[in-house]
Parts: sequence; C-alpha cells; structure tokens
Amino acid sequence: MDFLDRYRDIVPDWEAFRAVQFRPLISTARINTLKIGRDVLLERLAEQGLDCRPFQWYPLGLKLDVESPGKLLETLLGFIHIQEELSMVPPLLLDPQPGERILDLCASPGSKTTQISAMMENRGLVIANEPSLARVAALRSNCERLGAMNVAITRYDGRNFPRGLFHRVLVDAPCSAEGRERRGAGVIARGSCQRSLDLQALQIGLLKSALRLTVPGGVVVYSTCTYSPEENEMVVQAALDAEESSGAHLEKVKTPGLRECPGLEEWKATIFSPQMRFAARYYPHINDTGGFFVAKIVKS
Amino acid sequence: MSPRSSRARNVFEPLDRDAVAEIWNSRFAIPESVFSGYNFFRKARSIWAISDSELPGLSYEAIGMRIMNCKDRPWKPTTCALQVFGPYAEKNTMHLQAASARLFMEGKTQEVDAVTAEQCESGYVVVFYRGDVLGCGLYSHGKLVSQIPKERRLPGKEGEDIS
Repeated sequence: MDFLDRYRDIVPDWEAFRAVQFRPLISTARINTLKIGRDVLLERLAEQGLDCRPFQWYPLGLKLDVESPGKLLETLLGFIHIQEELSMVPPLLLDPQPGERILDLCASPGSKTTQISAMMENRGLVIANEPSLARVAALRSNCERLGAMNVAITRYDGRNFPRGLFHRVLVDAPCSAEGRERRGAGVIARGSCQRSLDLQALQIGLLKSALRLTVPGGVVVYSTCTYSPEENEMVVQAALDAEESSGAHLEKVKTPGLRECPGLEEWKATIFSPQMRFAARYYPHINDTGGFFVAKIVKS
Repeated sequence: MSPRSSRARNVFEPLDRDAVAEIWNSRFAIPESVFSGYNFFRKARSIWAISDSELPGLSYEAIGMRIMNCKDRPWKPTTCALQVFGPYAEKNTMHLQAASARLFMEGKTQEVDAVTAEQCESGYVVVFYRGDVLGCGLYSHGKLVSQIPKERRLPGKEGEDIS
C-alpha cells in the first residue's frame, strides 16, 4: 500500500503498473539535428559498438544502453542530448515552425527548449523562462552545448510573465513527478494529496498566464510527469474555465507509435468537460517509459 | 573600464555585426558572411550572438550564446562558439589524432609537433578531430593548452572528476 493506490481505479492493468515501478528505465537520448545528421550520428555510435536503438515512434529518439551516456564524446560535443523518452512528446505536439516566436515558460534544464530550437532550425525566437538562478545555469549550459542559437533566457515568475505575444507556449509545469519513480525510487514515497494541491495553484497560474500570452489561434501545450488528476485534468479544466481562455478547446493528442490513455472524465466528485478525453495519460507499463500527462489547447 | 552599478552591468547593448565579424575574420579567416544571420550584443566584457529576429522588450538573463570574452587580451572565443563558427575557419586551426584529441578533451596540456601546428600562430586556436570541432585551445611554443570547460571534459585516466 502506498500513495499510488489511489489511482487503482483509473490505471488499466493495475498489477502490471505496480510491477513496472521496480524496473529501472534504460537511458534515452535525442539526436541534436542542429549539430549532426541522424545517419552520421547512428554510424558513429555503431562504430563504437554502442547498444543504441532508435524509437519506433520518433526517428530522433534513441534507447541508449550504456553506462555513463552523459560522458560520451557525442554528448559532450552536443551531438546527442540525454532526455527522457516521453519528454520528447510535448515539443512535437507544440509543433513550432521556423521563424515563429515561442515561449517555454518552465524551461530548465532545457531538454524541450533545445528540441524546440532544433525543430525551428535555429530560426525565429524561443524565450526560455526559468525563475531560479541555480536552474538557469543548467539551461544555459545545455543551450550552448547543443548549439541552440535562437534562445533567449528570462527569469520571470511564469504566472506574471509581463508581455507577449507568442505563437505557441509550452508549460512543462513543476509537478510531484510520480512518473519518474523508475528513474529514481523514492519520488512516490514523498507524494501526498496536499503536495499535489499546493502545486495545483501554481500550475493553474502558469497555464492561465500561458493562455493570456498566446495569439488567437495559437497553441498551448501543458505537460507534467505525474499521474495526479489534481495536477493534470483539474489544472486544465480550471484554465479552460478561466475568463482569459474563453473559447479555447482541447485538440486530441495522438502520437503514432505510442499508446495513450485518454484524459479522465471525472475524478472523485469532480466531473470534467467531455473534451478532457483528448488529453493523454501515458502509463509506464504500456509503452515501457516513465509516466506522463499532456494536453494540447488551441486558443480561439 | 570603471566600475559600474550592477544594473548597468546587466544591460545587453547591441553591437555592430560587421565589427564582430571583422574580429573573427582577422584571427580565424572566417568569411564575414557566416555571421550574417545573427545579431550581437555586449554585456560587461562578454559578447553574445543570437539568430536574427526581433526581441520583445523583456529583461534578459542570456541572449543566445556567449561567443567571446574580452576581459583579457587577446580576446578569447568560447568553445561552444567555435563549434558553431569554427568549421569555417581557414587559419589558426589544428587537427589532432586520436590520442591527442583524447588528452585535449580531458582538459590536459600537451606538446604538439610542428606539422600539427603548421597553420597556427600563438594564441587561441580551433581544435578539430575527424572533421569535428572539439573546441578552443591555447597554443604557444609547441604547447597546446586545452580550454574545454570542466563540465564538457572526458573523465581522465586517473579517474578524477567522473561524477
């Protein structure tokens, strides 16, 4: 019995979900097309006899079964970036285009920021916001190592980011990180409903701010690495209900090659909008990944 | 330069693109056109580069990439900037063999022979291995001092600093 038991009724195949928590994840990396082509990189890794397999759902993602992937020359030179598999989903949903203006509201350590920058081929502008000075260091270091040349860093409280407008905004929110248990055991032991509710207030503030800063017709992607409906569906619902997002709607999250579970339609006594099923829940035993939640909101 | 308030030190001032391109061209013979897609800024003694686009009026912690440090003479290019602009360099470049490249990535100082250093004057050089830019080195009198930042180094043979 632990904190996860409260999800017994929402997670499909409960026993498999429980069992997978004890199986560590192998490392994953993203090929950084700002610095190297995919074929050349794969050839280099194969030459060294490294065990690497591209994801089936994303050609730039790799499963990399090596001891210290962070110390590979390819990592140090910025040809690859160690990044969680599902962390590569939100930028793909955001779908940034070269030349656009993008805001990454909770950017550090910059895995998604630099993926966005690569998708834009270094053209246009990414504002990477990170309030914590300590976390800015990691963000800057990753942007520089990966050769992201279209990123400017700001340090605002994301809830009060002063002005826009942006074509697309990513809110990869601070969360209770229950989906990271396979990476570092103990996350779930620290979880509590109160902690989720404390984070919820911040998350709603961030998502409402993002909707305010987005151009009409623009896209906001909200993601967390937690299962807690308090930090996921309840946050999205609160932001959709807010005045500044009148007419905003969810677009269905579908990533060919990955299996999503639909967003919840109710939790405890709360009934969500029927469109909440367009959001996606990723459970670790279904795709052999971490746990994740993502919603794509289109502003009208 | 006289001491200034912290507020003033934190301001990014736009710089003339041609002036930056000329400085890089004079040391590394990089064609000035390589810099045409970027805007340049100065903050304190550092120069930064960002892809050409309009910046909204915000307070910035970083604008693109820190490409050079003008605190000392001669000016020093950053390793990350050499990885972007260095491939176009036509002088002050050095191509290493596997064992020397490894030492260089470990942050070590090493002797280099005259053939390897053929295109190099004393000062900062672009160090290559198998066609890729490894980063910035300081060359003088037959010695190459690696300028690879600590967090970008390969762990050394002694096993220090592996974490």
